[in-house]
Amino acid sequence: MATELTLPALSAGMEDAVIAAWLVGPGDRVEKGQPLAEVETDKATMELEAEAPGRVGRLAVKAGTRADVGQVIAVLLAEGETLPAPAPEAAASAPAPAPASAPAAMAPAMGPAAEPDRPRASPLARRLATQAGLTLDGLSGSGPKGRIVRVDIERLIASAPKETTAEPAPEPTTATAPIPPGLGPYEARPVSQMRRTIARRLVEAKQTIPHFYLEAEADLEALLTLRTQVNDGREGAARISVNDFIVKAAARALARLPEANVIWRGDELWQLSTIDIAVAVATDGGLMTPILRGADRMSLGTLSAEMKDLAARARAGSLKPEEYQGGGFSVSNLGMYGVRSFSAIVNPPQSCILAAGAAERRPMGRGDQIVLAPVMSLTLSVDHRSVDGALGAQLLAEIRKGLEDPMSLLL
Amino acid sequence: MPDFTDLTPLAPWREIRATEADRTALDPETGRTMLSQLCLIRAFEEKVLDLAGRGLVHGPAHSAIGQEGGAVGSALAMRPTDQVNGSHRAHHQFLAKALAYVAEAGIDPEAEFDGEIRDLSKKTLAEIMGLSQGFCRGRGGSMHLRWAEAGNLGTNAIVGGGVPMAAGAAWAHQQAGTGDVVYTYFGDGAVNIGSVLETMNLAAAWKLPICFFIENNRYAVSTHVSEATAEPRLSARGLAFGIPAFKVDGMDALSVLIASHEANRIMRAGEGPVVIEADLYRYFHQNGPLPGSAFGYRDKAEEAEWRARDPIEGLAGLLQTRQIIGEDAVAGLRARCAAMMEEIAGELTETVEGKTRVIPSLWPEESFRDAGLRGDLSEMDGARYEEEDSFSGALDANAKFIDAVANVMHRRMDTDERIVVLGEDVHRLKGGTNGATRGLSQDFPDRCLGTPIAENAFTGLAAGMAADGRVRPVIEFMYPDFMWVAADQVFNQIGKARHMFGGDSPMPLVLRTKVAMGTGYGSQHSMDPAGIFATAPGWRIVAPSTPFDYVGLMNSALRCDDPVLVIEHVDLYASKGAAPVDDLDYCIPLGKAKVVRPGNRLTILTYLAMVEKTRAVVEDLGVDAEIIDLRSLDRASLDWETIEASIRKTNNVLIVEQGARGTSYGGMLADELQRRVFDWLDQPVQRVTGGEASPSISKVLEAAACARPADIVQAIRAAMADQGRPLAAE
Repeated sequence: MATELTLPALSAGMEDAVIAAWLVGPGDRVEKGQPLAEVETDKATMELEAEAPGRVGRLAVKAGTRADVGQVIAVLLAEGETLPAPAPEAAASAPAPAPASAPAAMAPAMGPAAEPDRPRASPLARRLATQAGLTLDGLSGSGPKGRIVRVDIERLIASAPKETTAEPAPEPTTATAPIPPGLGPYEARPVSQMRRTIARRLVEAKQTIPHFYLEAEADLEALLTLRTQVNDGREGAARISVNDFIVKAAARALARLPEANVIWRGDELWQLSTIDIAVAVATDGGLMTPILRGADRMSLGTLSAEMKDLAARARAGSLKPEEYQGGGFSVSNLGMYGVRSFSAIVNPPQSCILAAGAAERRPMGRGDQIVLAPVMSLTLSVDHRSVDGALGAQLLAEIRKGLEDPMSLLL
Repeated sequence: MPDFTDLTPLAPWREIRATEADRTALDPETGRTMLSQLCLIRAFEEKVLDLAGRGLVHGPAHSAIGQEGGAVGSALAMRPTDQVNGSHRAHHQFLAKALAYVAEAGIDPEAEFDGEIRDLSKKTLAEIMGLSQGFCRGRGGSMHLRWAEAGNLGTNAIVGGGVPMAAGAAWAHQQAGTGDVVYTYFGDGAVNIGSVLETMNLAAAWKLPICFFIENNRYAVSTHVSEATAEPRLSARGLAFGIPAFKVDGMDALSVLIASHEANRIMRAGEGPVVIEADLYRYFHQNGPLPGSAFGYRDKAEEAEWRARDPIEGLAGLLQTRQIIGEDAVAGLRARCAAMMEEIAGELTETVEGKTRVIPSLWPEESFRDAGLRGDLSEMDGARYEEEDSFSGALDANAKFIDAVANVMHRRMDTDERIVVLGEDVHRLKGGTNGATRGLSQDFPDRCLGTPIAENAFTGLAAGMAADGRVRPVIEFMYPDFMWVAADQVFNQIGKARHMFGGDSPMPLVLRTKVAMGTGYGSQHSMDPAGIFATAPGWRIVAPSTPFDYVGLMNSALRCDDPVLVIEHVDLYASKGAAPVDDLDYCIPLGKAKVVRPGNRLTILTYLAMVEKTRAVVEDLGVDAEIIDLRSLDRASLDWETIEASIRKTNNVLIVEQGARGTSYGGMLADELQRRVFDWLDQPVQRVTGGEASPSISKVLEAAACARPADIVQAIRAAMADQGRPLAAE
């Protein structure tokens, strides 16, 4: 019998996705496991595979448009079966449904079957968000009970890149950011799904998390010496990076101070039982944070190999959702760009993020002498809702201790 | 044992009966016309019952078969310019008056009926069937028949409800000095209702030329008159009010004619109203084609007894005895009447597959549903509009509001003789209880009328004046809550009249009243009437908040052909503001709000005394709010252009009013707002109102029951917080 193919949740918490491309067309025979469509979620593009052999009856969602989880996106037919006539009541709100006799015709997207956890938003905010191409998922607003109101959308727009999207030009409203005067020639580039997600999550983080920042400097003399020894004989890809040490140091520190390995949930604080460290990786599409799960239990070599694999696949856009979702702590390292120090934005719902700068030779006191030593600036950004200053300070001290006594990281 | 001295009523109470001499002296032409009318009406009513029995009359068919003598006898005593109105059972009265109008020279019972009689019958039947060619375009039906040209003021489905309005028409005749009179017909059931008795009192006090014509048919639906009153000789009611009263046999049209001539003599001589009680009988039940006996409240013997005194048989017998008409001619007359009605009914119906139905094209268009609920304001063409900001005339910046109230009315009465002010104590106390009518009774003694405490009667009387067209009444309710006392006249009559009678009859009436919250008058004197009037059909409402606006809005109200409620406020009476020094002739458009203070974050819609209170709060808080004084409040006159533009800018709206939540104005406004600007709203429509209960007399409780500045502060803070822009804490 004809089966309706609904959009599955391809990652935890996924509510909708864009059907980036159809890989099959109406009438095509498909085998079990054959990719049917490319589905673009917040951070990844995945292939949706056929669960059973059959034939494509019709495609219910146009390529390039958004579908909700649970929404029918295609109808698959068993061999020899024909397309049933559409139910007369179906898609009552859809304009001009395609005639049933034209199997190739694309039916317009249907409304969501159900809207669990639909974000509360004022009518105006919804309209402004739609016009600006923003989704409201996961956003908590300034109105009563977290209702998203105009001011939230305005802030969101103000914090997002100013380029207009390639989608139909939104109507001018009071809320869209005006074109800055005196602007020279520019090219408007569409904003990717990933870019939007980054923007939304960081706006939310920066607006809602009460950050505080702790700074420390680590003397890397011993670490660099040890690294040279460890890398002796290792070739290219197998070499341990400074970053690997930093991740390891963070994992060790968290193992010693588990009360910092927590997630803020409003009414509850969730103590994580494993130490999963998210590591920021720059990709062409934007920032990705693959997760090193159980980093405290990995040897430095394993950790390093795992990290390289994750980073490579992050750049290739082939991470699975479970490889970039979650984590209890983040590490961001811009040292390779010569940055001395910076403050990172906490990656919700985590509580802390460590920002590492470049190891540069600076004068520093060692005993009674001022010597030139390789020094790295560390900045720990902390969510004060879940982690207090003293705890944050202890955590940073532990990380520093690990870096300055790198042998402890090898144990 | 004390002395008992018999007192006698001031007015006479007599039975009038035609003598043999009168019967001998009956003018043959009058007799023949009378017989023709009786037969035409009988045939008409029989056809109505026939159609009703076949389901072709929607709603009740209150037949007057058996009662024709009263209507025909009185109508033939009238002049074409005299007027009548009636109740739910009024086909016969309507036709008798109209027949006397279209056939002033009489109706020959032996000739073919002329086209006008046929047209009248058809147009009346069409109205009863709810068809667009009816007198009221099918809106009125059986119970709301109006043909002003023929002197039919409009019949009424509220028992006794039309009686006060007839007195208003009588007042217009008296004021114009025409000598014309008004007959208001009603039944034994209406004799005990307040509006009738109040009007008898008022008409007698003011000596109005009105005849209270009681058709005593014995039954109010199924309740016998002797069950309803200890004095079933209903003409006795006149004695309580000093009104001459006559009792007459209503089955005898000649006796009724004689009684009516006597009544007219009294009324035309300026001696005031008359009561005529006509004893008569309806052969059928309240409505429909079954006799009353079928329902068990009377017996067939009683019906047979009355039928034996049938008005047609009686008159036909007399005319035959006097050889004025032959037996065959009477039979021929009745056959021609029936044939004409058969023909007319045939022109309004068709038979499809064995079933008779109304010809579909004769129904009114559905789009006619609300048409003419109010006028089109074309009477405002040529009005000169002014606003305080752009006014070029001289302004007194420190004028008292109450003086603007009195001054503009004085000015209008000076320039327009049609304007009449009436209400309780408006003629005394230096301008009524608040000074609003100061100077009017001195300068216009015949047009500034202090009324009895009878809101239903004087409101209905004003409605009758307004419908007449020669008078533009201004009534005052000392307190808004009195609208409930006069509710039938205010809402059932005044508000609905234009629409119900077809959509083109003006009702130029102004009702002034003052909100008295804060004066300690308690639960029954402290409401804001805006919400109730705004949700009832037909009324326009203005609520001026400054002396300048009062002048312009009152001028517009007085110029408008629709009923306009002008809401005042005791707090404003004593306030001072800019008022014109010598120009009291400008208007302010009905339907134009005023932006009192521009702003960007919150639109506050308010009116009357809350405008200034709101402004003070907003300025104190320093909040970026736009305050709009609505000024015109009714559905037709809300200034959506100004309101919507503001909300599209601010995306947030707060309605501020003072009065109780239940009868509030804001409920209706909020409903309209969410319908119109939903997608522009950043939060629900917010409201400030008083409590649920009506304010109490106790000072503390009253203050707590009415919305006050602290409530406005709280609401503004909440509205700002809920849009994510909380104000700094106090």
